Amino acid sequence: MNESVSTSIMAPSGSRRLSLSWETSLRTGNPDISYAGDFELRSKSRVTLAEHISNYGRIPTGLSLNMIIETLRVANLTGRGGARFPMYRKIDAVANARTKKAIYIVANGSESEPLSRKDSSLLRANPHLVLDGMSIIAEVLGAKAGYIYVKDKEAHVAINAALRERRDRGINEVRVSVVEAPPGYVSGQETSVVRRIERGPALPRFSTDRLATSGIKGAPTLLSNVETFANAALILRFGGDWYRSGGVGYDSGTRLLTISGSVARPGVYEVNPGVSVAALLREAGASSVRALLVGGYFGGWINVRDESDLNFSFDDHTLADRKLNIGAGIIGVLSKDTCPVVEAAGIVEYLSRQSAGQCGPCVFGLPEISTAFARIALSSNVEKGIAELRSVIPLVEHRGGCQHPDGVIGLVRSTVGAFGDEIKLHKSGNCSVVGVNHRSVLLPTPKMNSGMSSIGGK
Amino acid sequence: MRIVIDPTRCHGHGTCAALLEEYMELDKWHYPLVHNDKLRDVHLESAKRAVQLCPELAIKIVDN
Ligand code: SF4
Ligand code: SF4
Repeated sequence: MNESVSTSIMAPSGSRRLSLSWETSLRTGNPDISYAGDFELRSKSRVTLAEHISNYGRIPTGLSLNMIIETLRVANLTGRGGARFPMYRKIDAVANARTKKAIYIVANGSESEPLSRKDSSLLRANPHLVLDGMSIIAEVLGAKAGYIYVKDKEAHVAINAALRERRDRGINEVRVSVVEAPPGYVSGQETSVVRRIERGPALPRFSTDRLATSGIKGAPTLLSNVETFANAALILRFGGDWYRSGGVGYDSGTRLLTISGSVARPGVYEVNPGVSVAALLREAGASSVRALLVGGYFGGWINVRDESDLNFSFDDHTLADRKLNIGAGIIGVLSKDTCPVVEAAGIVEYLSRQSAGQCGPCVFGLPEISTAFARIALSSNVEKGIAELRSVIPLVEHRGGCQHPDGVIGLVRSTVGAFGDEIKLHKSGNCSVVGVNHRSVLLPTPKMNSGMSSIGGK
Repeated sequence: MRIVIDPTRCHGHGTCAALLEEYMELDKWHYPLVHNDKLRDVHLESAKRAVQLCPELAIKIVDN
């Protein structure tokens, strides 16, 4: 599988494969963790095409569809946007779609999770890696056009500069255009991406078909997160076995994580799965941790009662045992001076405002869920809040045109499940945090029209 | 066969629920809540009428 790799290139190893840690000073003491840039995305300099080729070698050419599918299968590459679907199966489904229509390829870098910075980080620093992955796969699929969907303005600039370099160098590949993602939580949903590329609104579309058979203009569409394509570009250079040499077998390679909240060094980290969560938090500078939000605003919580609650391996299986999913690679850290239930209520309220306004149960149900949940968070009437949640959730769950309402319900359930101790206190009108200001939430809930919100370390 | 309602189109007029009582009821916001989507042959005609009468073209009958 490595025939096309020039021998002078060393396959990258450890936790620096995606080469976001452009300054060696940003290495951490732990070989499984590297710091890839701060939360504000300052000083992200782009790797030029010449540098890129000298880092990783030329773009592999002449790979067959079967070789690509087999290599990605061996590598065990899964989607980095949150769904964790095996990439080789997606490619296979698109290749086998029974249609004569053109095929499209889309890299989603819209990063609508307010706690995520990894996609913008990757695109600002190393757009060529994402473009390589798209280019190689587009070629074997015979794709007609490619799109990168992004929100971050500087990432947009970096991709355009990279595309110019590739054209100037005469690289013959699929034509890729950048499509701007509008603000809003649901604009990053897969069907919103497709509608936006079709020049429609970036709102979810209800469909009983999969994108692999019916995506852009009803044509087979391969859509994955930008980090998935970047990883594919590495795997198709250095091989599936090389990729599996990082991480743990079922969760291989490296993973970009955004760690934020009550930490001294919030930002993007590249880590090898299998590293301990405690080590990860140490590198990020967390102390007196009360709770972790894992997987973003559709994710779930870990109630940290003592240090031992953080002694587990960071990988897909271990998280799944705890009913958690890393989603788009997000860890939000709450310290002991914040009430996690209040934080969750802030997020639920934000998400209820993010409804795309298309489906009755979402439009009417999410505000009711939010109001009921606020009773619990504010310690005003916990019993009433719980009773209201019980009656309204069945009217909302599985009834949206997209996953948005179910994502919100998932967060509500996880909060109630994880923080029984806290909720008990709230029942008696108290809260573990004395004098908590119920309005000042730590985790960001951006207004619809604002750009990226910023939260720094504490 | 299954009855599928596209929630992004449905505006909750309720015509469908009147025709397909055995499959759905209206929720408190007047949107159809489907409790059984497996369409039986005996109800195919009513289902087809519901498809035609839905002002938002939100209902579909799909195989599988
Ligand atoms: S479920 Fe909510 S967010 Fe999703 S399409 Fe319907 S209204 Fe929009
Ligand atoms: S008739 Fe159509 S618009 Fe009216 S409730 Fe039924 S599905 Fe919704």
